[in-house]
Amino acid sequence: MTDSGPAIVVDKLCKRYGGFRAVDDISFSVAPGEVFAFLGPNGAGKSTTAEVIETIRVPTSGTVTVLGMDVRKRKAQVVRRIGVLPQNFSSFDRITVRESLQFYARVFGCKADIDALMDLTNLRDKSAARFNTLSGGLKQRLGIAIALVNDPEIVFLDEPTTGLDPHARHQVWDVLKGLKSRGKTVFLTTHYMEEAELLADTVAIISRGRIVAIDSPAKLTEDHADQMRLTLKSIDAAAERVIRNMGFAPVPLDDGDLCVTVKTPDDVRRILNEIGKSGLAPGGVDVRKPNLEEVFLKLTTGPPSVGAEERDR
Amino acid sequence: MTPRIIVANLGVRLKSFYRERSAMFFTFAFPVILVLVFGTIFTKPEHLNFDLPVQDNSGSAASARLLEALAAGDAFTLVTVPVGVDATQYAKDHKLNLLLVIPKDFEALQRQRLVGPHRGEPVPVTYVHDPSSTAVETKIQLLDAVVAAANQKATGSPPSLTLVAESILSKRYRFIEFFVPGIIAMAIMTSCLSNALNMNAELRQKGILRKLATTPITRADWLASSIVYQLILSVISTVAILLVSYFVFDVRLHIGFWLPLIIVVEVIAFVGIGMLLTPFAKEAESASAVANAFLFPMMFLSGTFFPVEMMPAFLQAFAKLLPLYYVNEALRAAMIFVDDAATLQAVAVIAAFAAVVFVAGTFKTRWDEST
Repeated sequence: MTDSGPAIVVDKLCKRYGGFRAVDDISFSVAPGEVFAFLGPNGAGKSTTAEVIETIRVPTSGTVTVLGMDVRKRKAQVVRRIGVLPQNFSSFDRITVRESLQFYARVFGCKADIDALMDLTNLRDKSAARFNTLSGGLKQRLGIAIALVNDPEIVFLDEPTTGLDPHARHQVWDVLKGLKSRGKTVFLTTHYMEEAELLADTVAIISRGRIVAIDSPAKLTEDHADQMRLTLKSIDAAAERVIRNMGFAPVPLDDGDLCVTVKTPDDVRRILNEIGKSGLAPGGVDVRKPNLEEVFLKLTTGPPSVGAEERDR
Repeated sequence: MTPRIIVANLGVRLKSFYRERSAMFFTFAFPVILVLVFGTIFTKPEHLNFDLPVQDNSGSAASARLLEALAAGDAFTLVTVPVGVDATQYAKDHKLNLLLVIPKDFEALQRQRLVGPHRGEPVPVTYVHDPSSTAVETKIQLLDAVVAAANQKATGSPPSLTLVAESILSKRYRFIEFFVPGIIAMAIMTSCLSNALNMNAELRQKGILRKLATTPITRADWLASSIVYQLILSVISTVAILLVSYFVFDVRLHIGFWLPLIIVVEVIAFVGIGMLLTPFAKEAESASAVANAFLFPMMFLSGTFFPVEMMPAFLQAFAKLLPLYYVNEALRAAMIFVDDAATLQAVAVIAAFAAVVFVAGTFKTRWDEST
């Protein structure tokens, strides 16, 4: 790291394709050593933003600084200090795992420890396998190993687990946790909540080219999903009136369940007490804590104006 | 440009090519097969021999003399058609494109020609032919020649005019010697153009170009490794074509310093064209369509398979706009006519063309956004 300044600074970035605003005036910064997740639905502008930072795309306006260097003016220096796993990563079909790593090491002109990279990504026993014989998970792990070949300060991972089965996804996550523990700055784009929640220090939610929320996963769930959902299973219809009288708004579900949105664990206790006093007994009780998924759905759906308003953090 | 990167890139390309055995085989075998096929068809017209079906209705000593004359040359092998059948129907039924019919009164007519009131009138010998067949013209020409010789013999007077051939070349050259340089030029063009387009489309479609855009590889590195890669393939291909031509057809071509120089200039020119065309060939399907749209007119109009002089004037003028025309000119000037001035002139045109393509290409294509 050059100094203690931010690893990435994005300032008023816009990227248009004709009249379409893929990225619409976004600003944020990423601290050194943090895992920064860019979360958004398909087509929200995640990858476009990532590709501008990675120097692949030229911004329409705004500035992007990586390790203190402007990506437009100093592309050649920037690429040497970052490592990129592009979206839908692919390599040369008939070239083996080891040869691919050697190729990229030569391109960067660095003495990479190929064996160590294969160990880190758990590819050692596949070193002689050609790329077109690898499964999706193995291909992604090779992509991550290649992204690390120049010992970069910042690693960009663009949808690293999209299209992988759960087993392969967990293997990729293990590799990402390894990166985090080695102190690399990681810029991750994903549309999986679970991934962001599990790995990220900071999550930025992007929708329609704009950042609608940015914070730690815990803080985001606290701020935006300030409600708990209590479900009383197979309960007598009389319970609805009891709860309504307490000032809540219960919603009966088709299968005889009753759903109540509450604020605090104390509300849950009070409702259960009241129901018990009325002599009603639910077949079961389910309390769901808010999670990032609910925040995400809340912020990325609905009319565009909502997103625009919430953007002004 | 960084030599280390160019070498790394070249290594990956050569390994990929070597490991795709079928593509490798066809890259080298296709031009060789063309040489073998066209060489076999066109090089030995002196051994032309056709079957000639004859219906001899006369069966006389006179008709026997005519048949003897026809069979005397190497041109025809006579096949007897039974007397009494309808010649036209017979030709149709047996799919014959030429059938000679000697009239019943052939001997009598020939005698009348010498004496009597019909003296001096020629004796008609009919041939039934299928004018839609392309081979029939050659046969009729040969037939005419035999008949003319027979006439001359009958009248006993020697021909008043005779043509003597004198070549402007120090030695005669055969069709195969014209053909081989054309195939060399075509093989190099095809390989450069379609490889450049297909590889670009494949790498773009797979997203490998996007990955490469985040490395220190520059467009110049990429182009330099493309050129070196194509040079290696071109040299192997040219050597294969020449070896087959020498051993199978015993061609006599001049191999000097011009040949490698022309190969280098041609590779640079066509890799450059390939680079200019990549924006039109973003997918594998469009890549081969775009490549073919350029390759086929170039192949047929630039004098690869036949001299451009055989084409109408406006097409000849058009040929002179095509870069492959100058490659053909240069290779033939160097390998057949050993004419340094003509070779230099053609090479200069290709070099100028390559320079223009490269200047246009570096201005036009961006390495990043274009992915």
